Amino acid sequence: MADSNAPKPSSSVKLVLLGEAAVGKSSLVLRFVNNDFQENKEPTIGAAFLTQKCNLPSRTIKFEIWDTAGQERFASLAPMYYRNAQAALVVYDLTKPTSLVKARHWVAELQRQASPGIVIALVGNKLDLTNDGEPGRGDGDGEGVEGEDSGDARKVSTEEAKSYAEEESLLFFETSAKTGYNVADVFTAIANAIPETSLKSTRGPGASNAVSRGGEEQRVNLNGPRETAKEGCAC
Amino acid sequence: MFNISSFVQKAQSAAQQLIDPMQGLNLTNSDRNPSKASLFQSQFRLPSSQTPLFEIPAELTIPPLNVTHGGKDHDRGWHYAGRLHLSESYLCFSTTPSSFAHTASTSTSSTFAGQTHGAGPSGNGFTFPLCAIRRVERLNSQNFQFSLAITTWNGIAQEQAKDKAALKDRKDFREQRITIQLAGNRQVCERFCDGLKKGLRGAVGNVGRLKKVIAECYSEYLLRPEEKKNAASPDAGLGVIFKYPGDPKKLRDRAKMRLWAEYLRDNGRNATLIRQPTFHKLIRVGLPNRLRGEMWELTSGSFYLRLETPTLYIDTLDKFLGQESLAIDEIEKDLNRSLPEYPGFQSEDGINRLRRVLTAYSWINPDVGYCQAMNIVVAALLIYMSEAQAFFLLSTLCDRLVPGYYSSTMYGTLLDQKVFESLVEKTMPILWEHLVKSDVQLSVVSLPWFLSLYINSMPLVFAFRVLDVFFVEGPKVLFQVGLAILRINGEELLDAADDGAFISVLKSYFSRLDESAHPKSENPKLRAINRFQELMVVAFKEFSAITHSTIQDLRLKNKDAVLNNIENFAKRTAIRNLGPDSKVLSPEELGALYDRFYGVLYERQQRDLIIQEEQRRRAKASKSRANETVPEHHDHGVEKGRVGLGPSTSLMDYDAFREFLASVSKWAISDAPPPTPRRDPSDRNSYFGSFRRSDINLLSPWGSGPEPADHEFMQRLFRKWDVTNSSSLTLQNVVTGLAQIKGGRDIMGTITYFFELYDDDGDGKVDREGILRVSEALLFLSRRGLEGSLSHSNSTTMLNGIAETDSASLSPPIGGTINERFLGSVSAFIRRCFEYADPDNLGNQEEASQTINPNTPVISKEDPSIDSGAFAIGDDEDEEDMLAFDSPSSQPNTEAKRPDLEPIPPAIGKPAENASRRTVSKAQSEKANVALDPSNPLHITLPTFRMVVLADELLEQFFESSFPTSLHITDGLPNTTSQSSSLTTFSNLNFSRPATLSSSAAQPGLAGAGRGLRGVLDNIVTDASRVAAEVRRRMEEAQRELEKNALPGQRDEDEEDEEELPGPIKSTNAYGGDAERRSVRSSDRDLLDGADAGAGATKEADGSSQSLLDTNIEQEGRVNKVSNTTERIVEFES
Ligand SMILES: Nc1nc2c(ncn2[C@@H]2O[C@H](COP(=O)(O)OP(=O)(O)O)[C@@H](O)[C@H]2O)c(=O)[nH]1
Ligand SMILES: [Mg+2]
Repeated sequence: MADSNAPKPSSSVKLVLLGEAAVGKSSLVLRFVNNDFQENKEPTIGAAFLTQKCNLPSRTIKFEIWDTAGQERFASLAPMYYRNAQAALVVYDLTKPTSLVKARHWVAELQRQASPGIVIALVGNKLDLTNDGEPGRGDGDGEGVEGEDSGDARKVSTEEAKSYAEEESLLFFETSAKTGYNVADVFTAIANAIPETSLKSTRGPGASNAVSRGGEEQRVNLNGPRETAKEGCAC
Repeated sequence: MFNISSFVQKAQSAAQQLIDPMQGLNLTNSDRNPSKASLFQSQFRLPSSQTPLFEIPAELTIPPLNVTHGGKDHDRGWHYAGRLHLSESYLCFSTTPSSFAHTASTSTSSTFAGQTHGAGPSGNGFTFPLCAIRRVERLNSQNFQFSLAITTWNGIAQEQAKDKAALKDRKDFREQRITIQLAGNRQVCERFCDGLKKGLRGAVGNVGRLKKVIAECYSEYLLRPEEKKNAASPDAGLGVIFKYPGDPKKLRDRAKMRLWAEYLRDNGRNATLIRQPTFHKLIRVGLPNRLRGEMWELTSGSFYLRLETPTLYIDTLDKFLGQESLAIDEIEKDLNRSLPEYPGFQSEDGINRLRRVLTAYSWINPDVGYCQAMNIVVAALLIYMSEAQAFFLLSTLCDRLVPGYYSSTMYGTLLDQKVFESLVEKTMPILWEHLVKSDVQLSVVSLPWFLSLYINSMPLVFAFRVLDVFFVEGPKVLFQVGLAILRINGEELLDAADDGAFISVLKSYFSRLDESAHPKSENPKLRAINRFQELMVVAFKEFSAITHSTIQDLRLKNKDAVLNNIENFAKRTAIRNLGPDSKVLSPEELGALYDRFYGVLYERQQRDLIIQEEQRRRAKASKSRANETVPEHHDHGVEKGRVGLGPSTSLMDYDAFREFLASVSKWAISDAPPPTPRRDPSDRNSYFGSFRRSDINLLSPWGSGPEPADHEFMQRLFRKWDVTNSSSLTLQNVVTGLAQIKGGRDIMGTITYFFELYDDDGDGKVDREGILRVSEALLFLSRRGLEGSLSHSNSTTMLNGIAETDSASLSPPIGGTINERFLGSVSAFIRRCFEYADPDNLGNQEEASQTINPNTPVISKEDPSIDSGAFAIGDDEDEEDMLAFDSPSSQPNTEAKRPDLEPIPPAIGKPAENASRRTVSKAQSEKANVALDPSNPLHITLPTFRMVVLADELLEQFFESSFPTSLHITDGLPNTTSQSSSLTTFSNLNFSRPATLSSSAAQPGLAGAGRGLRGVLDNIVTDASRVAAEVRRRMEEAQRELEKNALPGQRDEDEEDEEELPGPIKSTNAYGGDAERRSVRSSDRDLLDGADAGAGATKEADGSSQSLLDTNIEQEGRVNKVSNTTERIVEFES
């Protein structure tokens, strides 16, 4: 594997996903980790734990991802998972305004309760359901979307979310777990945004340990082809 | 025979341990002090309908059964000393006060006391439903002991009428007959037997039900003679269709089944099962697949729930067929991810069963509804049992075995994680230290173990083995297994330094549970032991010291902290989720509001519970004891009230609202005397100083708080806040409501708010009735004195109502006149309202006033003295004008006398044609009558209302400051106000006020009446209230007049009657509401004169009031200008 021969410094980053149920948190993680999109078959009790590496030019970041359960009542368990997290993905559904309200709540909660230096990314998911769904694709697709009246299910404007993100100094992305659009970018941006110092200081023992136990990545069964994951984080 | 005395002693000492186990612990909480009934129910796993009626030391003798047993005690059978219990529908026997009950050792968390003895919580013995007992015979015995022979209905299901006789002869079927020797004096034994007799008689009718219920038990099929097995076997779960998990050979399922068949044949099955030590051993080695479901329901006690209401499951499904709910949506999402690897859940059949059980449960326990992880647990149950069995077992899990795990706050889950952590800290300090150092939170790893009962963590075959023991021995098993997992993996875990590493160590451990624990051992026996067996040994040997009471103690210890955490989280969330209007309140106010809101709901719920409990207790005591009753209500036995425990209370009804208001506003406290005896005013200071809340009887309907008032104003406020018309308020409603009053709004906003409260139909008009109600509300709100910033002509200091009250009780207050003056202001308010009111319908009114007026009695003229006393505000005029309830048509007259009132421009809402009408001149008497004439409907508009309010300095201040500040959200009410009765406070305020004293003392009437100052001053309040009452009375009279017009013949007489009335005026007490009409005494009038003289301001300010009105009209709606004007008035007056 590409990372095994790289002598780059490696450190782990604890990342937590928060957001209303069904906004696509698990799908985003699955896309990032397995480059796959499918109905979630894994029952989530409390939170699911997954890992994925992200290669930056200067270092390797290993994300330890806590994907929290969707049900509302599990919200009171959230502090257990965001505690010590260095990064958080707060996800909302572009087609569901209430999910942004919930996202704002989580941002406020993290800013008040989580570790002070936490990097928060606000992510509007399900971009494929909007007219901007395939911004990277050619005109053909665009026409196709135009042809359908019901093509745009967007209910949260980019401007609204973006200006909120700026106000609160959050990273901001619109993604589609379904098409994979922007998914890797979110994680790369987070990896880049984690200050070097926080890697050393907060996860010191963990990081060094992770390096020493480098051969053991397979410890978490990711149920998927590994090589696709590389592409997911083409940093 | 055996030595009975020694066993009696043993049993008695055991019994003593059961008595008052929490003695000496200064705890009040119900879970710190579980009732005997709940301990009894726990011990025998009985439904909450069962209470221990009688208990008695006893010895159980199980006769030798057949050769297969071949025991040493062959000729005498087996003897167990223990206690026999009788409840409404059960006869239970147990050898040990089990670890499930609290033991008298009051074991603390630091010392692990009490042993399970491997016997499980229910010990050896039986739990017989009375309907499963066929016969009880009293045996003859030489030494006058009570010996009972009990024959059960064991095997009733296979008994058919036609071959009953044949069965008797069969070798493989024998009646189950045990003997029980009661130990105790004759009286006690007889009482027990009487109770038993009654119970048995009542249970006769339930035998049919028992038959149906046990028909679903696999044991009935198992023990059926071979030739009768052609009948369909009971539903033993999806496993029958889709195979049970694991290799039956490896599980040695066949051998286990044979052993169980033998045990059940000898010891009874399902309802008639007797637990002997073998029973527990057989469970420890793992239940055979087809019996697993039945044994789970028996050991957990869910069988007894099913027996109680056998059709609840089907009935619930029927009842809610086709209905939708949030829970159902959530269930639907998870159906495909519940043990998806098991073939049964890849089929429609399995998915449908799962859906039905989860849905039915969500209906019978809406507080829990559906929680993720329940899908996994129920899926697992459904592999081994029928839907109905799984349904009742889920119920037992949620209520008893893992309480609060799946609740809407999941407090039980969080609590047990705390408990688990502290057990780890205690039993594995090195590992604990490592966890702390490497900042790994154990819960993220262990929480899923507990939440899904290991079903999702271990391979299914092993998870089910854990469940086998868990259902017999209770929740402590989850902890023992968890600790054993950590101990076994201790070395590796000490190397793991983050969540990921930790998880991977354990994941790989779970995946290799079937491997040999000692693969390299020379000893083949050791080699044969797999890791799971090792786990069980470590769990139940090394951690045998962990008992149910250990867990209970630790739960208690951590409960508050956990609930507080949850509540803080819920509070943050709730406050953050409040709408934008909450932003006008400060975070402190919102926080305090939240606390008060839920505080009131919680306390009310607690009080309800206590009262209900008391009622139940009484009902029970009066009820015939042994009569079996099938409770209709399914009691979940779950605590309620605290936010952290769940959502049971988030709506505030009107009574709760009153209580809430009474906790923040002194005006919302009732005038009724407080429950404690009233003290003499002379010791008030010490009274306040020494008052403690705990003195109040908790059983009072209002708990420790003061009784709230119930005024029409509060009802209006409630209705206004209840925007959804649901007769209840959410926190959001209360926040929105308060934000409108307190949210830094300008005075105009508050005035508008008040106006709208009384504008019932929202048409921008408040009618005559409304005006009266507004004034009543003003009096109501001010009757304990005004708060906020009040300035007046005598004193320019800003006064705080409470400080004022306090100082008033100590020394003559400087500003004591304010509250009296406010009464004057209210009088003026009424007068002005009527003065400036608009007629509803001009044409009608004109007519009506002309035709009716001459016939209407003219009270104000007849009794001028009253007018000047009660209503004199602008009494620079002559008497007739005192009671100036001027009709709109009287306007010109007023204008003539007070030219400064004249220029009321149309801007304040007076239609131009109105002005022209004003030119019609009428006699004073007519004016008054028209105003009161119900046939002349009139109303005020918001601009008029504003004008009238702003015309009075005190009223203005009331709306600007006093009313908003009277709601003490953050600081609450000091005890002084909450406990003092209003009127006393009021008179205290005025006590020895020099002005009043001198002026009133000068009145002979006062001295003559010989009443104390206090009574006189109380009257001031009453008199002011009377203003409103009087107006109301006159309206009624006018109405009567109107009616009499239809019968002209009688009219004159009646009129005379009116005039002949001896008292000058009749009045009803606006607050007491009593029909008694009191006449105003001359002393009161005089006093009021004096008060008015003292207040001065209102009178003299009249001129300035008018100029205020002018300015106000020009600058309507602009706050700062208005307040400027206010200042000007103050200057003018001083
Ligand atoms: N169209 C579309 N659907 C998505 C996307 N991400 C997730 N979903 C769907 O949204 C639903 C909820 O997704 P899930 O990942 O379970 O959400 P979670 O509850 O936040 O973990 C699933 O049906 C997904 O298939 C997306 O980017 N586009
Ligand atoms: Mg998810």
